[in-house]
Amino acid sequence: MTKDILPDLLSSWEETYKKGQLTLWIFLALKDGSKYVDEIKEFIERKSKNTISCEEQSLYRNLRKYKHIDIVSFAIKKGNKGPNRKYYFLTDMGTELLEKFIERNIKLFFSTEINNLLKK
Amino acid sequence: MKTLITPNLLKFTLTTIILTIIFRLSLSTSITSKVIIAVILSAIIYSILMWFNGRYFGRKEYEYLPIYDIGFRFHLSTFLSHNVVSIFWFVFSFKSHYENIKIIYMTALIWSVFLIIHFIYFLSIRKSTIRNLDKEDLFE
Repeated sequence: MTKDILPDLLSSWEETYKKGQLTLWIFLALKDGSKYVDEIKEFIERKSKNTISCEEQSLYRNLRKYKHIDIVSFAIKKGNKGPNRKYYFLTDMGTELLEKFIERNIKLFFSTEINNLLKK
Repeated sequence: MKTLITPNLLKFTLTTIILTIIFRLSLSTSITSKVIIAVILSAIIYSILMWFNGRYFGRKEYEYLPIYDIGFRFHLSTFLSHNVVSIFWFVFSFKSHYENIKIIYMTALIWSVFLIIHFIYFLSIRKSTIRNLDKEDLFE
């Protein structure tokens, strides 16, 4: 087997890996402070070093779902420029959900054993 | 219950009512005139337009907020709209001389069997939802 296929393998793995990450990135953006959709998008792209790209439409759709299940809410505030905007923020339940998710799924990577393996 | 009756469902229902009135009008007119091809064409055009109606508003509904089960809610709305319009069509005597209300009742009866089957399916998938949203479609 040649190494020619390495880039294809990497992008295929990344594609699968990134699925399901949008929620985490949206939550991280809101944990950072309340934001309107453009700011959330900008936060995700900047902090993920452009490895995660998201369409505004997809963000709106997700935020509507999170709002519907009360893990996200919004307040109408005046934007930096232009019209009033919906500033989204995590509700208490959303904050708790994120904390529990991080505890169970993200903190694993910070354990000494896994950390050492990653550094090897 | 409030979350199940959405703006897209209401728009779909309104369009269904309008299409059904047009269908009944063309059907009664064709039957009165005894133009068989017009009777067949009325039914075909009505079914095609209803398909587009469901597809357009169903897709919009899913993209806005995928509240379960879009299919059953739209099916129930179609059943009610179609049959209520059809019954009123007879009540207000817009029908053709050759039409019989028994056909409406028979259609509704057969249709209701399929609606009940769909309702059972609706109840079964309800278990896999959180506040009316499909668990598997909640997080991306």
